[in-house]
Amino acid sequence: MSQENSVEALLEEARLNASIPPPAERQRLREAANLSRAQVAAAVGVGRTTVANWENGHSEPTPPGRLEYLRLLKGLAEIYPAAPAPAAIPEPTADLAPVPPAFVAAPETLRGPDGRAIEGDPGPCIRCGIETTYQSTDGRPLHSGAMCQPAGPAPAAPAASSPGATTPAAAPAAPAPVSPIPAPVPSRSERRARSAARAQADVSLLISRAVQEEAERAGGDEEAALKALIKRAIPDVMHLFNETRATARYDYTAYPALPDILKKPSKKDPDQIWEARPKFHHPGYSLRAPGEVKVTALDVNAAYLSALKCWLPIGKLEHHAGTDGVEPKRSGVHLITPAPWTHPHLPDPIGDRDEPGALWVTNSTLRLLQRLSGPKYGLTDAPVIHESWTSGATENFLDALRKLLGAARDEAIENNDMLTLEYVKAMYSKFISTMGESIHNREMVRPDWMHIIHSQAYANLWGKAYKAHQAGLDVVAMMGTDELHLTGDWRKVFPEGRGVAQMKIKHGDAKASGEYTVGTVGR
Amino acid sequence: MAGRWMDLGMFNARGIPGADALGIAIEQMVTGIVSPVDSERGLAARLSYLTKTDAGYEAMDRAGIHVSPRTLMAWLAEERIPNKANRSRLDAAYWDLRRRNVAADLKKRLNNNGRGTRIEINPVDQSRVEGRHQRDLSSRSINVRGVWDRAVDAWMDDDVAELDAIWDDIIQDLGSEYDAYSNVSSIGWAA
Repeated sequence: MSQENSVEALLEEARLNASIPPPAERQRLREAANLSRAQVAAAVGVGRTTVANWENGHSEPTPPGRLEYLRLLKGLAEIYPAAPAPAAIPEPTADLAPVPPAFVAAPETLRGPDGRAIEGDPGPCIRCGIETTYQSTDGRPLHSGAMCQPAGPAPAAPAASSPGATTPAAAPAAPAPVSPIPAPVPSRSERRARSAARAQADVSLLISRAVQEEAERAGGDEEAALKALIKRAIPDVMHLFNETRATARYDYTAYPALPDILKKPSKKDPDQIWEARPKFHHPGYSLRAPGEVKVTALDVNAAYLSALKCWLPIGKLEHHAGTDGVEPKRSGVHLITPAPWTHPHLPDPIGDRDEPGALWVTNSTLRLLQRLSGPKYGLTDAPVIHESWTSGATENFLDALRKLLGAARDEAIENNDMLTLEYVKAMYSKFISTMGESIHNREMVRPDWMHIIHSQAYANLWGKAYKAHQAGLDVVAMMGTDELHLTGDWRKVFPEGRGVAQMKIKHGDAKASGEYTVGTVGR
Repeated sequence: MAGRWMDLGMFNARGIPGADALGIAIEQMVTGIVSPVDSERGLAARLSYLTKTDAGYEAMDRAGIHVSPRTLMAWLAEERIPNKANRSRLDAAYWDLRRRNVAADLKKRLNNNGRGTRIEINPVDQSRVEGRHQRDLSSRSINVRGVWDRAVDAWMDDDVAELDAIWDDIIQDLGSEYDAYSNVSSIGWAA
């Protein structure tokens, strides 16, 4: 019981603290009640000058007397609310008079002899207006402990419909107990969004601070600053990653036992995973053939950054035979035999694989293949899945990091800030390339993630090629992570720019870059 | 080895003793010449590493390379190539010496100025264990300090018993369930 009371006392104190009026308001309240400072000081138990200091803002109310003073102010504020039109003041006072509970800090919860709150007929809470079965001591519905946030004038209407005896008084009284300056109370989702935004702002501050630090240290030498930033990109991005994981739901396994297929036979040799890197040249077009077909080489912006949104296995990969390991919420690597690709104009989503037969692909590639074999596309047959190494997966794993880096990138482009742009690029690309077995990043050993993100980038590129093809353009070439060569007016299909959803023209030394012409080859 | 998990695999759990995992994880920290000993580059690099110091000659001695100075000079001058047996001995001698030389650095990195290193311990793989025999084991992460000098020395001497004792010390800190982590599927750390 006593513990319960002390909790109530703390809650009351917190409520009072939350509604402490500014110094000028303190004086106004006292003068409105026609009280002298000496009277207040005597009631609160401090000196008169102390009250004067509290009123003109020289000091803030401190413990001996603070609680009493706040309680007094709160009571006064309820009698003399700070209304924009002073004429309105007498009216609520008159209404309030017959309702003594309005003067105490908050209505008390009705409790049984055992100290537990008693439930009754459900009705809208007099504080927040949301339905509750708990009651206040005077029989009106009220959330237990009165911990709900007071609502605006809204509960006035539902209060009238509640069957309590005090209904006539409750209806006009309901708006009155609300604090004089009604603070906008965010809903839970709004609070979450706000705290997430704040957390993101905090973390993105790390990026700008790092850039600023190195720029200052280099003393105007941009090249030196960039070098220093790239050097610290890996530890920095790991720190950012851990920051974004701070309140995360899953704890990932950073050093899982790896299946043999993911182990590199030596430091230089690759493991057995086929990432489906594209290297496609349309057989119907040739640079050497005479002709006047205009082709534009396009570049996907920050392809690996976008690819951070992919299904990543959280824990250690587990082996399943057949199609057992293939589920929407699992990810990993799969041994499949892809169906033959016969489309005359679109690249094989499996990449330029010469060897026939089964191969280990990542979940990103498998998802693409399964999509393409589905009724919506119907471009190929479903691959045969032989075995899988998978774990429970989530698509949002690196999403916070992706958004963070993406926002920093957008801002850098807008401000024409080369340093930040290159720094962000180094962070996400090195994060991906060193998340496997690397001596440069020992914070995690997840080669499976690296492969999955790589092939997600290739799958995304394939999606862009498909989109262009659907719009009537021909895909002349699709190479690497981000290169797409298209005939015709590509601006109809893709917006031009440097944003992650946009495309830009790829310039380079190669013959097939920028805008060039090819000829058609008869087949 | 601690406790009741003596018969690993009795119920189809898969894993390795913690001592082995510890040795493997330390081993992974060692870097050195990447080129294989069969390549010209890798061989030359190993030979020059082994002939720079007295410790190198001792390492060759330990690895069982007993050749005349004349032959060694011929190898170094790339006039002759060691036969396959000697190449593998050279490789063994190189890694033996390399381990000894990096041990001090490893100790320093793992001790981290007395702060120790946070290690992730992943429990044995129970995916093939029958449901009623499965235990609810999660990945654990603990900070380990004070044992790294011993651990690196034991790893260098291939002293499995000592590594085992160290692993027991480490998992004691995991609480009442420490026993279940005598065997693990993998461990890892960033140092």
